[in-house]
Amino acid sequence: MKWMDMDCKKVQRRFDDLAEGRLSEAVSRQLRRHLEECTDCRVQQQRTARLQQLLAIKRSERPAPEYFNDFLGEFHQRLQAEAATQPAWWQRWATSVSAEPTRTWRYAFAGALTVFVAFGAITSRVILSASHPAGGDASQMASVSSEPLFASAPLPASHSMPTMAVASVSPRPAEPSLAGGQVIIPAVAHDDVDEAGAPRYVLEKITDTPARYEVASIHF
Amino acid sequence: MTTLTKLSEKFGLGSPKREPNPVTPPVAPVNEQAADLEHEDDESLVARTRRGEQGAFDVLVQRYKERLYATVYHMTSNHEDANDLVQDSLIKAYKSIHSFKGQSSFYTWVYRIAVNRTINFIKRRKTRNHYSLDDVDSNIQSDPDFVELMSHVTPRREVGLGELQEKLNEALQKLSETHRAVVTMHDVQGMTHADIAKVMKCSEGTVRSRLFYARQQLQGILSEYL
Repeated sequence: MKWMDMDCKKVQRRFDDLAEGRLSEAVSRQLRRHLEECTDCRVQQQRTARLQQLLAIKRSERPAPEYFNDFLGEFHQRLQAEAATQPAWWQRWATSVSAEPTRTWRYAFAGALTVFVAFGAITSRVILSASHPAGGDASQMASVSSEPLFASAPLPASHSMPTMAVASVSPRPAEPSLAGGQVIIPAVAHDDVDEAGAPRYVLEKITDTPARYEVASIHF
Repeated sequence: MTTLTKLSEKFGLGSPKREPNPVTPPVAPVNEQAADLEHEDDESLVARTRRGEQGAFDVLVQRYKERLYATVYHMTSNHEDANDLVQDSLIKAYKSIHSFKGQSSFYTWVYRIAVNRTINFIKRRKTRNHYSLDDVDSNIQSDPDFVELMSHVTPRREVGLGELQEKLNEALQKLSETHRAVVTMHDVQGMTHADIAKVMKCSEGTVRSRLFYARQQLQGILSEYL
């Protein structure tokens, strides 16, 4: 890269590094050659140096020499006063938050909020599906399960079906339903009928046979 | 006055005026212990503080109070606020010493606490514009850099040191909190980009960029002195 091709802004951001010798020889040479050719950057370099001289005056602003004499004493007094008035847990938490960079806590809060909202959404869906058992709106049940909702036509005993799909079908006979290797029977058998009279299906037992899903027929 | 007597007074040990500290009572022989601690490095003093030796933390306070004060003072341009913020920061550091993991030096850690507290304080205080400035050391008038600077400024107009000080502080207060922090740390305190990046938990590129924009703004405000 030729020295005049260098972006002036980038050159000007490197003035400190150049002055303090933190650049490689090659880069330093490029910068110097750019400064020889570029009047704007040269003027800017002089103004920066003068500003730094001006700011250096602030180094001489000092409190009176005896100012720090009782600094440690005051520190102990404040510590003592804080110990006497121990803040509540939430105040201590707020103090610890303010001692950390704000950005970190912003991310932590955003993350916690996301988890909270996601948990709330899942919980509300589960509650909603529990309040609308078999016989309810099939689409609600389908939204809980990612499994497809199959036809409500009675299935032959040889067919298997996902549990949630079975649960969404309205009143079933009392004989056990097949869901892969799982046997599901209506809760009627356990005298557990809800107000609407719709039976609730409960898991009776789990066999070791892996579930197999086959579509019997789909009606639109 | 012997060194031990001075240390004793510094640490408030054996002083008849000061009431005994109920947080951690000093253990005898305190004077010798304090003198020994002065020679220990930060790491070992932090370890002692964690074991409940407040005297060790006192040494750290004495070691860094002036540097912390200077940074906070230049950021706030207010003597009383600087004192309060440094005291609060050191108390916070003492109470949180168990959470200090040692990934950075103790000084960087406590410096970060002080700078963050000051930035938050300035954000809250935005509307207030009250200065309480320390005096400028008169020795500066014999400093070659200062003489050169004044020879450049005075041909344009008569400028007193007091006026320059006031204008400088006004100009700094016009910068954003983060820009003021980097200018203070670099151009006033003389810290390196790398150290500032550690304190502010950002990249060196970000420090350079902030310095660039802060200086551009300062040059605009202080143009008549440049």
